[in-house]
Amino acid sequence: MKLRVKFNKRNYLKYISHLDLMRLFQRSLNMAKIPVEYSKGFNPQPKLSIASPLSLGIASEEEYMDLELIEKIDLENFKEDMNNILPKDVQIISCIYPENNISIASMISWGLYEVIFEIESLKNKSEINTSLNRWINQDTIIISRFRKKGRKKILKDEDIKSLIKELNIIDLDKKQVKLQAILKVGENGNLRPLDFVEAFYRDNDLTIIKDSIRIKRIGLFVEEGDTLHRPF
Amino acid sequence: MINKDKLDRILNKVEKPARYIGMEQNSIIKDLNNIKVKFAFSFPDVYEVGMSHLGLHILYNLINAEKDFVCERVFSPWIDMEEEMRKENLPLFTLENKEEVRNFDFLGFTLQYEMSYTNILNILDLSGIPFYSKDRSDEDPFVIAGGPCAYNPEPIADFVDFFVIGEGEEITLEILRRYKEHKEGKWDRQAFLKDIAKLQGIYVPSFYKIDYNVDGTIRDMVPIVKEAPNKIKKCMIGDLDSMFAPEKMIVPYIETIHDRVVLELFRGCTRGCRFCQAGMIYRPIREKSADRLRELANKLIENTGYENVSLSSLSSCDYSQLQLLVSSLMEEFEEKKVGVSLPSLRLDSFSIDILKEIEKVRKTGLTFAPEAGSQRLRDVINKGVTEEDLITAVSYAFKEGWSRIKLYFMIGLPTETDEDVLGIKDLSYKVKGLFFNRPKEEIKGNFKVTASASCFVPKPFTPFQWVGQDSIDEFKRKAYLVKDSIKDNRVVFNYHDPELSYTEAIFARGDRRLSKAIVKAWEKGCKYDGWSEHFKFDLWMETFQEENIDGDFYALRVRELDEVLPWDFIDPGISKKYLIKEYKKSIAAQITDDCRLGCLGCGIKDCSMRGVFN
Repeated sequence: MKLRVKFNKRNYLKYISHLDLMRLFQRSLNMAKIPVEYSKGFNPQPKLSIASPLSLGIASEEEYMDLELIEKIDLENFKEDMNNILPKDVQIISCIYPENNISIASMISWGLYEVIFEIESLKNKSEINTSLNRWINQDTIIISRFRKKGRKKILKDEDIKSLIKELNIIDLDKKQVKLQAILKVGENGNLRPLDFVEAFYRDNDLTIIKDSIRIKRIGLFVEEGDTLHRPF
Repeated sequence: MINKDKLDRILNKVEKPARYIGMEQNSIIKDLNNIKVKFAFSFPDVYEVGMSHLGLHILYNLINAEKDFVCERVFSPWIDMEEEMRKENLPLFTLENKEEVRNFDFLGFTLQYEMSYTNILNILDLSGIPFYSKDRSDEDPFVIAGGPCAYNPEPIADFVDFFVIGEGEEITLEILRRYKEHKEGKWDRQAFLKDIAKLQGIYVPSFYKIDYNVDGTIRDMVPIVKEAPNKIKKCMIGDLDSMFAPEKMIVPYIETIHDRVVLELFRGCTRGCRFCQAGMIYRPIREKSADRLRELANKLIENTGYENVSLSSLSSCDYSQLQLLVSSLMEEFEEKKVGVSLPSLRLDSFSIDILKEIEKVRKTGLTFAPEAGSQRLRDVINKGVTEEDLITAVSYAFKEGWSRIKLYFMIGLPTETDEDVLGIKDLSYKVKGLFFNRPKEEIKGNFKVTASASCFVPKPFTPFQWVGQDSIDEFKRKAYLVKDSIKDNRVVFNYHDPELSYTEAIFARGDRRLSKAIVKAWEKGCKYDGWSEHFKFDLWMETFQEENIDGDFYALRVRELDEVLPWDFIDPGISKKYLIKEYKKSIAAQITDDCRLGCLGCGIKDCSMRGVFN
């Protein structure tokens, strides 16, 4: 029995890693006495998978995980029991029993991110927009990423242009800039927001103060034809 | 509250930022405005180490159970965090309310090992609290300390306003209550100190004066205020069943050293190993009942979601109802997939029966501690295991499918000869023989035996408190003696850093004159000395030279039995007479039985277990 859960990860809790989060859920499920299916073998683990793990330091408003249950349970009770146990900055927003057995990880293909940073010299919105457009409209945007080659990790140049769907400025408050970007996530191409920000920081003339960059994931999306929609 | 923007900026740059965020499940955040007494508890090491300390969980929940009091945690920031904090001018803060440590009423350190003393200074410095208690004012917290190293508090006596000697649970609440009363009345710092100096277990160093002989030894130590007692008697909890025991533990987000429920079976130990300070200072033995332990285990598992319970004590196999406890826990927890583990296994047949029981669920690594390579030397240190015990235990382990064994030893033990040292090799080879001298079809897995040797550090309140430590060169010679004698890559020998053990030995039996060296070494950049990768021996030696301190005087010198020792003013329950008797027996390689078999008159008054076992 597959249970699909939407949750958030905010404030200081962005500083716990993906593995820490897995352990947090595992223990919280134990505490709430949720009948989770365990893997077989010498070191049984609960069947729990979180779609497109966040990097350390990135907050999120909407994350998804699939849980394998031994038996069907009431969804409202599940949410309430878990939220009483989970810390206030990791909370379950909603949950469903999905109609088919496709994993959440394989469904998701785009992520919407908010990037906030400060710039050293004052600029107006259109100047910033020009700068964004110039960057995004280049023929290629090349970054170097570590890729596994057999056992070794090697640096490889890659064009990330096709992995960026949109980039817009949504707010400007004195020297604080707020952008939104839609980046590819998932099994068929993935652009880590940190790599994206690194490339943007490298190429533009906005005098970004590096220390001030904050990234937050706003949502994850399924692509169907030309439209993007939330998994639920 | 500290500047949270600054904190956020810093956290993005450091390794494992979750060390500094708090907010774990079962952590307690109170509104500090409604609190009468604020206590900051500090384990002066990194978060993962400190959070694995059971005492923290006990005191944290004990203090926070009181409406008017709060206990918040502070650890040593890791090197990278410290660097960023200094750059940004961010003062050290507690994990719960992110409040500056210096705004607390008390800053309490637990002293688990001597090599954490520079970290204590670093924490004071990052908090903006003066190092020396004489320099502190009403604006500063009281800096207090307890734990095993408080049994020789002298090396850090100048930094600490007062020490709590012994088990701190009951006395800590009493201190906080008295503080609250004093604060509500007419506040006078000295009057408060004089008031608590009258309590059992409280040692206020500034109330004592020490005179030295020309040879550098202590002539006497005298109280200079009438409230300060001549002898400080340790605090002790009488009944463990009725004492406060937490039903919740903070559950860290990041992995810690002990990521599990820790269940304290008993305090004290009856074995009487002569090198072991814990076995002497925590006497008498006091057990929790199996019923109480089962109840606690269930609650703790329920409240933490952990999947392992560790049965903890100085020698868990000595728990009188262990069989009963283990089998009932196993029965209850099998369904919940909760494992039970015993961290300190002895090498006897009884332990193996227990092991069989536990291994039904999960296999853990196998480690044995014969401590010394020869029977003669094991008798000297009164480690009551024989080679036969080891053979039985290891044979069983191999039969059950283990193929990797770890053996723990010490080198530099009193009366040790080269023959004793080479016994480490002999024993390791015997283990190898046991593995391979079996029918071919039974031999499975990759065999490896790892023998680890630590360098013996004589500790206060043990029968070896008078002996001289081996020199660094001697330690190295002995280590190489073993290393060079091993010519088999399935037998691995490694040994601990002798320089670190030498420095530890200086502080273990040091006196007040060492405090200035700790300050100087810290100024030179010493911190995290217990971490071999951060330990800077050359800086320590430079410091001792500049401060005219002879390290050998503290570490290597053999003391006369009538010498006034720096810690003599503390009464740990066991008598000096008993320690001398044990010392003399050890030199003659005479063993002393487990005191459950008959009282040996160690000096503990009203030993509650005397009636139970005798």
